[in-house]
Amino acid sequence: MSMAKPNLESREKILAKLSGRELVNCFQCIKCTSGCTALKLLELKPHEIIKLVNLGLVDELPSSDIIWTCVTCLKCVQRCPQKASPYHVIMALRNLAVEKEAKIPEAYLKAVSQILETGLIETPQKIVTRKMETLDRDCLKLPKIKPPKESFQAVFMKAMEEK
Amino acid sequence: MSRIGVYVCHCGLNIAGVVDVEKVAEYAKGLPDVVVSRHYTYMCSEPGQRMIQDDIKVQNLDRIVIATCSPRMHEETFRRTVEEAGLNPFLTEIVNLREHVSWAHTHEPEKATEKAKALVRMGVARVRLLEPLERRKVSVEKNVLVVGGGIAGIQSSLDLANAGFKVYLVEKSPSIGGRMSQLDKTFPTLDCSACILTPKMVDVAKHRNITLLTNAEVTDVKGFVGNYEVSILKKPRYIDAKRCVGCELCTKVCPVKVPDRFNENLSEKCAISIYSAHAVPKIAIVNPDYCLRLKYKKGVCGKCQDACDAKAIDFDQQPETIQVKVGGIVLAVGSEVFNASRMEELGYGRFKNVISSIEFERISDASGPTSGKIVTPKDGKTPKTIVFIQCVGSRDKRFHEYCCRVGCMVTLKQAILAREKIHEKVNIYVCFIDLRAFGKGYDEFYRRARDMDIDFIAGIPSEVHGAPDGSLYFDVYDKGTNKLFEIHADLVVLGTGLVPNSDLGNISALFHASRSADGFLLEAHPKLRPLESAMGGVFLAGACQGPKDIPDTVAQASGAAAKAIDLLSSGEIELEPLKAVVDKDLCSGCRICDSICPFVAIEMKTEIVDGNERFRAEVIEAMCQGCGLCSSACPTGAIKIQQYTNRQVMTQVQAALAGAQVEGGK
Repeated sequence: MSMAKPNLESREKILAKLSGRELVNCFQCIKCTSGCTALKLLELKPHEIIKLVNLGLVDELPSSDIIWTCVTCLKCVQRCPQKASPYHVIMALRNLAVEKEAKIPEAYLKAVSQILETGLIETPQKIVTRKMETLDRDCLKLPKIKPPKESFQAVFMKAMEEK
Repeated sequence: MSRIGVYVCHCGLNIAGVVDVEKVAEYAKGLPDVVVSRHYTYMCSEPGQRMIQDDIKVQNLDRIVIATCSPRMHEETFRRTVEEAGLNPFLTEIVNLREHVSWAHTHEPEKATEKAKALVRMGVARVRLLEPLERRKVSVEKNVLVVGGGIAGIQSSLDLANAGFKVYLVEKSPSIGGRMSQLDKTFPTLDCSACILTPKMVDVAKHRNITLLTNAEVTDVKGFVGNYEVSILKKPRYIDAKRCVGCELCTKVCPVKVPDRFNENLSEKCAISIYSAHAVPKIAIVNPDYCLRLKYKKGVCGKCQDACDAKAIDFDQQPETIQVKVGGIVLAVGSEVFNASRMEELGYGRFKNVISSIEFERISDASGPTSGKIVTPKDGKTPKTIVFIQCVGSRDKRFHEYCCRVGCMVTLKQAILAREKIHEKVNIYVCFIDLRAFGKGYDEFYRRARDMDIDFIAGIPSEVHGAPDGSLYFDVYDKGTNKLFEIHADLVVLGTGLVPNSDLGNISALFHASRSADGFLLEAHPKLRPLESAMGGVFLAGACQGPKDIPDTVAQASGAAAKAIDLLSSGEIELEPLKAVVDKDLCSGCRICDSICPFVAIEMKTEIVDGNERFRAEVIEAMCQGCGLCSSACPTGAIKIQQYTNRQVMTQVQAALAGAQVEGGK
């Protein structure tokens, strides 16, 4: 087994991204992991991420796939007895991953370009009724979706960089 | 001209680690009237005190300034030192260099040293104006009021009564016994709770020095240490206590069913009932909220009256207020159990088979609703899987941050009881965060639980679900095995913590006993005065001061009783001479002081001066606590507090400003 190599500088970087330092209060009650929506299928263990950050074992986290498995159900935020909020730690790690230009799952990149192009986080979907009819916006006489104003893209990119 | 000695204490490195004590002592030498200025490692030590005493004698000092820790810590020590050297003890001034300087400004040693100098300068300015004062002696009542009849109140009352003090024991419920009487067994020895408690309850009732007042509440407290006047409201039981023999015939005929509070509402009793199987006094009580006669008046029901051979039932009984004079008060009002329905995810209140630990006690107790058979509340079946979940409401920033101190041991005990009492195969799980078994014999008890094949899961479930068939299930991740378990449970027992009583706010206001951040009553000092409140003569015992198990509660209760005996045994006590005095000529008789004095220590008197009637305030010395409210409110400056006169305080303020850089001519 290889030795753990804490990196306290990287740890400070993550702490700086969080408004509070509550994650250091985590006493590993495991409530977050017991109830984690992404645990059963995607093996996300929020308590492990918090512990790794607290001990400074953070170098591999931003480039790992596991931080992208969180489905942001926020159960861990609501139920954490120490307000350590694993969700916010995972979000900080994601931001760090973007900064470090680590590999980001395609779906997220697609979502960003989608927003830039249409101003929407989802593409308009077709729906199927109980009578098995397929409907789209035209059938429902909904107005056409207009692309966002030109200034939107600039504002959006600026906001992304600031985060 | 005074001759002042200044003594700067290092307090080891507590002060000297931050403040340059040498510089401060050197600086003090230059202050007016200072004859001697020294610094020393521990001023409170024997050589430190002797240094002060020698200087008083040799250098003829008449005023002493000691720059050291908080006056709450050592003011008395240094007053005695000074007194032994023949100086009036009230000619000393304590300057707080520890709590106010070194501990507050740890990272700014230079600024801290400047602040220390300023405080010493202020102390020297003030000490010159101090006047010698004489201590007051007052006689005390040798009676004690004990509030709360749980194990803490019972133990305190018995100790006091055995020492010859008259005790008034006031209990809110119809019976004494408190929380302990609701428990089945006690850890770590598994003694039956009733077996060790009931004899003590009976002793209380029989003791000739104890007046037991159940179904009663304290409504008013006046006076001061050694001389409290207490009003106690005795609520009507609607039973003649002298006639009732506790035969329970009335409870057989009463048609009204009421949730049984003693059984944590798991069963029902009648509107007329005896509080519990071991109740002391064993006298029936009528619940006025449910009794048909008391609710609808006249001619309704009255079946119990017909059934009672002793003719003990009296629907005309009225509340009664009793006045008693006591020297000391022991507060032993206990605690409540956390209401787990506030922690919604665990399903308490939604699922009948999710119960709190106190409910488990009632289910397990032979005198409880199931006669001691461990069954599920929903369907009365023997559970095949029982899960205990720890730290419910405790160690949780959403509810209570403190550790409940009993939960781990309660759970171990209940898990052992379940294993012993259920003869069929039963899976017992304990979901925990940290298992704390810290007391004498406690870790051995934990080992005993492990021996009995109880499964410990290092992890807490996030939520408890109810399946359509009514069973309970949840996921829990175990950090020992790194595995996720899905557990189906028939009974989930929540390790609910202890929380302050919901009416502790009123009690704290009534007795002037302050509360700590966790909501419990605050001790005068966390280490050195754990048995007293900051209010003189008011002592604390048991879980009202913080969550406690039975051994700790009994120890504290005996300690509080000993403290009360220590205070009152000599028949008189010395009071601080810091009291208000009125300058007759300045008093205009406006009565402002009278209206705000919290100790009712101001008396308005009429006097004839030169043929004219004059109205003026007078201070009742024994009642005055020297709080200073009157002095600051008096519009004519007629009332002053000794040792804190306007002149003394203003001189100190001027000394503070003298060294400050005043900018802009303000």
